[in-house]
Amino acid sequence: MAAAIETQKLTKTYRSRSLGKVNVVDELDLVVEEGEIFGFLGPNGAGKTTTIKMLLGIIAPTSGEGYVLGREIGDMDVHRVISYLPERPYYYEYMTGMELLKFYGSLFGIKDTAKFQGLLEKVNLAGDATKTISQYSKGMQQRIGLAQSLLNDPKLLFLDEPTGGLDPIAHTEIRDLILQFRNEGRTVFISSHELSEVERICDRVAIINKGVIEQQGKLDDLLRGGRIEIIADGVSKELAESFKGEDVIISHHNDRAIVDMPENSDVNALLDALRSKKASIVSVVPRRRRLEDLFVETVGRADSRGKAKPAGAAVEEDAK
Amino acid sequence: MNVIWNIASTTVGEAIRRRVLLVILLIGVLLLSIIPALGILSARSETSITIGTMFAVMRGTSALIAIVLTIYMLPNEIERRTIYTILSKPVQRWQFLVGKYLGAVLALLLMIFMMTVFMLLLFWVFQHPSIGKLAEIAKQPFMYWMEMSLLAAVGMFFSTFIAPLVNFFMTIGIWLVGTVLNPLYDTLSKNANTQPLMKGIATIVTNILPNFANYDTKNPIINPGQVIQNGALYNWATVGYTAMYVGILLLLSIVVFDRREV
Repeated sequence: MAAAIETQKLTKTYRSRSLGKVNVVDELDLVVEEGEIFGFLGPNGAGKTTTIKMLLGIIAPTSGEGYVLGREIGDMDVHRVISYLPERPYYYEYMTGMELLKFYGSLFGIKDTAKFQGLLEKVNLAGDATKTISQYSKGMQQRIGLAQSLLNDPKLLFLDEPTGGLDPIAHTEIRDLILQFRNEGRTVFISSHELSEVERICDRVAIINKGVIEQQGKLDDLLRGGRIEIIADGVSKELAESFKGEDVIISHHNDRAIVDMPENSDVNALLDALRSKKASIVSVVPRRRRLEDLFVETVGRADSRGKAKPAGAAVEEDAK
Repeated sequence: MNVIWNIASTTVGEAIRRRVLLVILLIGVLLLSIIPALGILSARSETSITIGTMFAVMRGTSALIAIVLTIYMLPNEIERRTIYTILSKPVQRWQFLVGKYLGAVLALLLMIFMMTVFMLLLFWVFQHPSIGKLAEIAKQPFMYWMEMSLLAAVGMFFSTFIAPLVNFFMTIGIWLVGTVLNPLYDTLSKNANTQPLMKGIATIVTNILPNFANYDTKNPIINPGQVIQNGALYNWATVGYTAMYVGILLLLSIVVFDRREV
């Protein structure tokens, strides 16, 4: 599969009065495959928006290389086949939904009213086409934002916090639209804090902290290496105690034992031992790690590593 | 060109709905309406004073609109993130900047036109002047529009690297110096008796800062005895002067804005 986005040592350095030179994005190596939904995660000020701005060609990298759909970043031609939905976007409030699409369409030279109507239908705003943006709810504004991002039939969409601040119904609507984009063969690059949402829809993710990629890969691979929970009845307290070991948690009550152990432990040996003592196995449940756990663990580890070193990178906001 | 025009028309749409600009325009219109209501349009000398005062009100109001309109133009687009949505499309930064400037100039044209119509209407109601006289009066607002287009370019240039509040004082300062002091400096720079240091300062000021006094051609209108020698040439020279300054300022704005991290 070809790469929709590829960066090599992409770096953005700002000068800060208090901190001097600060690498807001530090030697970023990123690969996003075509046709996938890619989650770009990180705490506030990690360098997510700066990375997106560099990929969009809005700001120039200090060093390194980046390619979007095979073209070097900053190449204006690529803007014809990509689109961007910024975080908490503002649209000219006096315009109606239809006028907004006409305006953004005009930047591509698109004047096809039927196309605008089709997009309004796609985002479920056909009935609100003549309402002004100021009359739109947050969810409707986000949907009209998605409609404008589809004007040029993009191969690659950058969505910055697409579900931020929306109610659960609007969440679901936006999620369904994003999944629809993948089904249409588009690549979607999502920057988000909504980890449960990312876990539901993304194929691969990268976690960035202080400008450095800490984890990158398929979500299934990254979340593998979780734990297994075994529940068995007819287990004496002594037998349960015998399974105790490093990273194995045992709880015992009324002859029922619950063993929580790492996925890579010898599960069969434990099951054999239980059976040999006539215990009955109630359930064996593999527990996948949640993305939230992975995120907290990754960022926490990176932060504690950072504390041991002199400050290298700082938050984006400080740098600006 | 289409891209620039579409950004410009959107800018006009926004400008005519900005409350602060409408309030300034309303205050200007109210001030204009008060002048003839004072009943001083009876004697000829008072007519001259009234027209002069009306022009002064129109000029001040237009300058304030031009400054407030342009100093927030780019910062607002960045703060609201509208610039990112636009620049992620096939739009170059220079196209965005020129579009915004063109929109500001068109919005100024609209607002100055509205004030002119109101002023001429008042004048017609109270004085019943000839069409020729009305046409003569209407020439001055056109000069003001050119002046404000230049002032908007100054505000736009500073907005590419200065915060709005500082920009407000910078732009208004340049306008005041260019309106009041520039003619004085011009005299000093041409006077053989001026001290060398003062002459040097005067030469620098008159050569770098735009001379906004060029646009004030109301004297022949309010004092029929006065005429501008070769008026047509003066008008064309003023158009050229404006185009040159606006061109330079836009070019500088593009260079600075192109390097700016947004």
